[in-house]
Amino acid sequence: MKRFNLNALMTRNPALFALILLVLAIVVNYILQPNLFARDTLNSNMRVFLPIILLSVGQAVVILGGGIDISVGGIVSIVNTILATRVGLEGSPEAMWQYVAVSLLAGVLAGAINGFFIAYLRLQPIITTYATSFLYFGFALFILPNPGGGIPAQIASLYRNTSPLGLPLAFYVIAIVLGAWWYIRSTRYGNYLFAVGGKAQAAYETAVPVTLVQFSTYVISGLMAAFSGIAITMLSGSGNAEIGSAMTLNSITAVVIGGTAMSGGVGGVAGPIMGAITLGLIQNIISFAQINTWWETLVKALIIVIALATPGIINLFKITSQRAIGRPE
Amino acid sequence: MKRFYLSPPVAALLLAVILFLLSGLLPNGFGSDLNVARAQALNILRLSVFLGVIAAGQTLVIISGFEGIDLSAGSIVTLTAILTYVTVSGADEKVIPALLISLAVGGFIGFLNGAGITFLKISPFVMTLGMSGVVTGAIIIVNQGNVTGKVAPIMTRLIARPFSPEFPIPNALIIWLIFGFLMWLLLERTTFGKNLFAIGVNRVTAKLSGVNVTGMNLAVYSLAGALAGFGGFLVVGNTGVVMIQLGQPFLFPSIAAVAVGGTLLSGGKGSYWGTMAGAIVLTLITSLLTTMQMPDSVRRMVLGATLLLLISIYGRQRALRQ
Amino acid sequence: MTLSLSAQNVVKRYGGVVALSDGNLEVNSGEVVALIGANGSGKSTMSKVINGVVVLDRGQLLLDGKPVQFNSPHDAKQMGISTVFQELSLVPQMTVADNIWLTREPLGPGGVVNRKMVTAKTEELLALFAGTFKIDLRPDALVSELPPDEKQIVEILKAVSFNPRLLILDEATASLDSRQVQRLFELVAKWKTQDKAIVFVSHRMEEIFRIADRYSVLRNGKTVGAGAMKDITENDLVRLMVDKESVFSFSRAAAQQNQKPVCLEIKDLKTATLRGVEISVREGELVGIGGLQGQGQRDLLLSLFGDISFAGSIQYNGKPVHFRHPRQAMKHGFALVPGDRAREGLLYIRSILENMQLPSWARYGFLLKLGKARQDAANMGNSLNLKMAGLDEPVSSLSGGNAQKVVIGKWLMRQPSLLLLDDPTKGVDVGTKAEFYELLTRLCEEGKTILFYSSDDDELVGLCDRVLVLHDGKIQTELAGAALTKENLVAASLGVEHGGAQ
Repeated sequence: MKRFNLNALMTRNPALFALILLVLAIVVNYILQPNLFARDTLNSNMRVFLPIILLSVGQAVVILGGGIDISVGGIVSIVNTILATRVGLEGSPEAMWQYVAVSLLAGVLAGAINGFFIAYLRLQPIITTYATSFLYFGFALFILPNPGGGIPAQIASLYRNTSPLGLPLAFYVIAIVLGAWWYIRSTRYGNYLFAVGGKAQAAYETAVPVTLVQFSTYVISGLMAAFSGIAITMLSGSGNAEIGSAMTLNSITAVVIGGTAMSGGVGGVAGPIMGAITLGLIQNIISFAQINTWWETLVKALIIVIALATPGIINLFKITSQRAIGRPE
Repeated sequence: MKRFYLSPPVAALLLAVILFLLSGLLPNGFGSDLNVARAQALNILRLSVFLGVIAAGQTLVIISGFEGIDLSAGSIVTLTAILTYVTVSGADEKVIPALLISLAVGGFIGFLNGAGITFLKISPFVMTLGMSGVVTGAIIIVNQGNVTGKVAPIMTRLIARPFSPEFPIPNALIIWLIFGFLMWLLLERTTFGKNLFAIGVNRVTAKLSGVNVTGMNLAVYSLAGALAGFGGFLVVGNTGVVMIQLGQPFLFPSIAAVAVGGTLLSGGKGSYWGTMAGAIVLTLITSLLTTMQMPDSVRRMVLGATLLLLISIYGRQRALRQ
Repeated sequence: MTLSLSAQNVVKRYGGVVALSDGNLEVNSGEVVALIGANGSGKSTMSKVINGVVVLDRGQLLLDGKPVQFNSPHDAKQMGISTVFQELSLVPQMTVADNIWLTREPLGPGGVVNRKMVTAKTEELLALFAGTFKIDLRPDALVSELPPDEKQIVEILKAVSFNPRLLILDEATASLDSRQVQRLFELVAKWKTQDKAIVFVSHRMEEIFRIADRYSVLRNGKTVGAGAMKDITENDLVRLMVDKESVFSFSRAAAQQNQKPVCLEIKDLKTATLRGVEISVREGELVGIGGLQGQGQRDLLLSLFGDISFAGSIQYNGKPVHFRHPRQAMKHGFALVPGDRAREGLLYIRSILENMQLPSWARYGFLLKLGKARQDAANMGNSLNLKMAGLDEPVSSLSGGNAQKVVIGKWLMRQPSLLLLDDPTKGVDVGTKAEFYELLTRLCEEGKTILFYSSDDDELVGLCDRVLVLHDGKIQTELAGAALTKENLVAASLGVEHGGAQ
C-alpha cells in the first residue's frame, strides 16, 4: 500500500505548486481588475508577459541540466540593440526579417560561448555567465550607446494587433513552445537532459554524452533569449541597451516558482511558463493596489525574494516535521 | 600547479606597474615627467581605496567557499552613502553616529543574506542578487527623488584630502593601509579567520573539527554587509554627493579584484593584500580606458573578458572521469 | 556467444599502495566464478580491472583468446561486459524504466521514445523478479522513492537489459532479502544455460556455496587459490583467505581483567544502517569494532560524535548524553579520527600547522599567539615522529602515514578522554602503523578509552582487548581472550558459525 508521499508528489508534478500560485494570482488580479478576461486586457497582458515567458523557458532548460544562465538579460539587450539600430524606425519588413535571423544567430553564438566555457572548460556556471553577462551588456551598449532607434511602426503594430481567432498572439507562441518542449522531452535527448541534471556521475557511467548535453542547454538558452529579445523589441518598439537587466532575475524567479528545482533534474517548462505569468500578474496587482510610487520598487523586489525563498521554507517545514516524528534525516 | 612561483598578489602588483607605465606612454600620459607621474600614481592609488574597501567584504565571502559571493554590495554602498549624507547634514559631531548607522544597516542586510543562504538554502548568488533589488527599493524610498544632506568637513578632510603639504599622501590611502592591516589581522591572526579558511576548503572537515559552520556563515555575510556599509561611508566622504547609481559601478570590479588578487573563487585560499593589488589593477584598467577615451561599453566588455580570462586560468573544476 | 575471459598476472597500484600484485581470474561461458577475498585483498580492484573502471598497470586481459585493453567502462560494455555496481549508477529523480533504458531507449518515428515499448520491456524485466517485492515495483516509480532492495534490483535489471556476455555481480545481494536472493540465483542458473558468464563478488559464504561453480581467492593482492567449488569446504576457503604467515609482529600484552568502571554505555542505537546496537566500554579499554565494510561502523562512530542523528540512549560517565554537533562531543572530551582522511579529516590545501590547530585556535587568545601555537604543534609533531619539511607546508605534501599523524595529532593536542577511530591505518605504511600501535597502547595505559574500527583484521586481533563484530546492523559476536583470532574474526564477519582452526 503506497503511503502518501509529499516529496514524491512534488517531484512528479512540480508544476502543481506553480498552478496553485497562478490560480491565486488570477483570482486576486480579477478582484482588482474585473475586466481581466476582456479581449483587450488579455491581449495587452499576454503581450507584456511574452518576453519573460520565453526567457524563462530557456532558463528552465539550463537549470534542468544542472546549470544556470545569468547572461540571458545581456543577450536580450544585444538582440534589442541590433534590431533597433540595423532596422531602425524607417526600416523595411525585409530588413526586419533579415535581422531577426541575425539576432537568432547572435543568441545561439552567445549561448555557445557560455556552453564552451562551462561544459568544455568546466568552469563554474554562475561566475562564468556573470562574466559573460557583462561582456554581452557591454556589447549591447557598444551597438547602441544611448536609448533610441527602433523598429518600423507597422511591425510593432503587427505584434500589438495580431490576434488570430481573437486570442492573443502570445497564446499561440506559448502553444508552439510547449509543443516543442513536449517533443524534446519525449526523445532520448530529453532523458539525457534529466539524467545529466539529476546525477551527472550516474549519467556518465551510463555513457550519456554529458558534455555535449550541457553545452546544448546553453545554446538553447541563448536561442530563447534571442526570441525574447525579438518579442520585447516588438513590444517596446524602441532600443535600449539596459532593457534586459531586470529580466535575468525575473527569469530565475519564474523557474523557481515554477517548481523546477535549482539543483536540476526535476521539473519542466510548463511550470516556469506559469511562473512567468504569475510574476507578471503580481506586477499588475501591485500597480492596481495603488501602493505609493516610492514603495513600488521595494515591494516588487520583496515579492521576488519571497518567491525565491519559498522552496527553502517548504523544505524547512519538511525537516522539522520529520524531526518531530523522530525519523533520522 | 605548473606556475613558476609568483604569488598572485605580487603578480597583480607587477601587472599594475606595467599598466601604469603603459599609461604613461599614451598621448595624454605623463611621458617622462616624473612629477606628473607621481601625482598620477598617487591619484590612482587614492581612487583604488574605495574599490578596495568595497572588495573587502567580497573577499571574505568568496574565501568562505560554497560559491560565496555578495551581489548586494553595490546597493548597500549606495544606501549607506545616502544614510550618511542625510544623518551628517554637515555636522562634524554626527559623523560617528553616521558611521555606526552605516555599519549597522550594512550588517543587518548582510545578516539577512546569510540567513537566506544558510537556512533557506538559497544560493548566495541568487540571494544577494534578490536582496540587492530590495535594497534598491529601500534606496528609492529613502531618497524620494531628492535628498538633502551634506558631508561634514571633517570627513572631507580625513578622506578626500592629502595628509599634509609635506607628505602629500592621500589620507584615504593611509586609512586603507590601516584597514588592510586590520583585515590581515582578522584573516591570519584570529580564530574567525582560521575558521573562515577552514569552511572555505572543506565544510565537512570543519564541522568534524568542531567549527560552527552555520554561525560562521551568518557572521561572514553580516560582516561583508557591514564592510560594504563602511565603503559607502567612505565613498560619500570622498565625493560629497550621492546618486542612485553611486555604488553599482563598484560591484563587478570588486569581484574581479578578488579574483585578480589570487583568491580562489572556489574558496579556502586567498588574502586581502591580493584584493588590494587587484583593486589597483582594476582601477588602472578603468582609468586607462578613460584616458583612451573608450566608452562605457568597451569598459564593460573589457571587464567581462578579464574576469572570464581569470577564471579560465584559475577556476577549472574537476573532470567527471576520476 | 560464448566467451572466455582471462586476467593474468594483473598488477595495479594506487599511488604508493599496491592493490594487486598478482591477480588472476578465469571465467567462461556457462559458469559462475566466485571472486573471494577479505578486506583489502584486492577483490574490488580486480573486478574494476575487468569492467574497465580502472586500468591495469601490468599484466594482461584476454578476451576469447585475444588480448584486449579497456580504457573506460564503455569499452568493456562494447565487448559485452556489464556490471552491477556496488555504488548504484542510477539517477534518483528518474523512473525505473527510464533508468534501465537510458541511452538505449526504443525509438519510434521522429526520434520519439516509444513509451509503450519501454514500459512493456521494463515489465518483462520486472517480471523476472515477480513475487519478491514487498511493494509492487512499477516501471514508472521514481528511483528515489524505492527502498534499498528494490533499487538494487533495478541496478541488476539495468545491467541485464544489456544482454551481456559477461555479467559481474559486485556485492549485488547486499541489500536483497532472502526471497529476492533466491530468485536472483534461479535467474543466474537460467543465464548459465544461455551461455552467459558470471563473476560473483561476495562475502556471503552461504550464497557462494549455493551459486558458484568455481572459486578464485585473493589474499593481499595475490590470487592464492582457484578451483571447483565441489572440491573445497567453507573452512578451507576461510583458511585460504587468511594469511597465516602474517608479518604482523605487534602483540599487545594481554590486558589484565579490566576492573575500571564502565564509562560508556550504549543501548539500542539505531541509525540508517544500525538496527539496535548495545555496547559497554570500561575506562582504559581498547575496544575494536570489526565486520565487513559498510556494516554501520561509521554510523556508530559518527552518532557518538554528534555528527548524525540517531535513536537510542548513550551514557557517558554515568550521565545521559546526546550530542547534536561535534562541538558538544568535544566538550566532553571526545575525539574522532574520521575514515576518509582527505574528505573528512584534513584541509588539504592548508598548512600542517593550521590542520593541527583547527579545533584548538580558541586557546591561543583573541589575537592568536602564533608562536605558542607553532611550538605546541611542533612538539606534538615530534612526539609523533612526524616527518615534514615545515609547519607551513601544505598538508598535501605529506605521505599518507604522516598526514594521518597530523589528524591524530590534531586531537591528541586536546587531551581527549575518549578516542573514536575510523579505520585510522588505512593507506598508511608499515612503519607508521607500528608507531600508531605503540601510541594507542600508551594512551590506554594513561587511562584513555579507545573505540577502534579497522578493516585490517590483524590489527584488531593484535591490538584490542576485545572485538565486537558488526553484522547486519547489530553486534553479532564478541571475541575476547583466546577466542580473538583472525580466523574467528573473518568467520564472524561472514556470518559463518564456526571459525577456522579450533
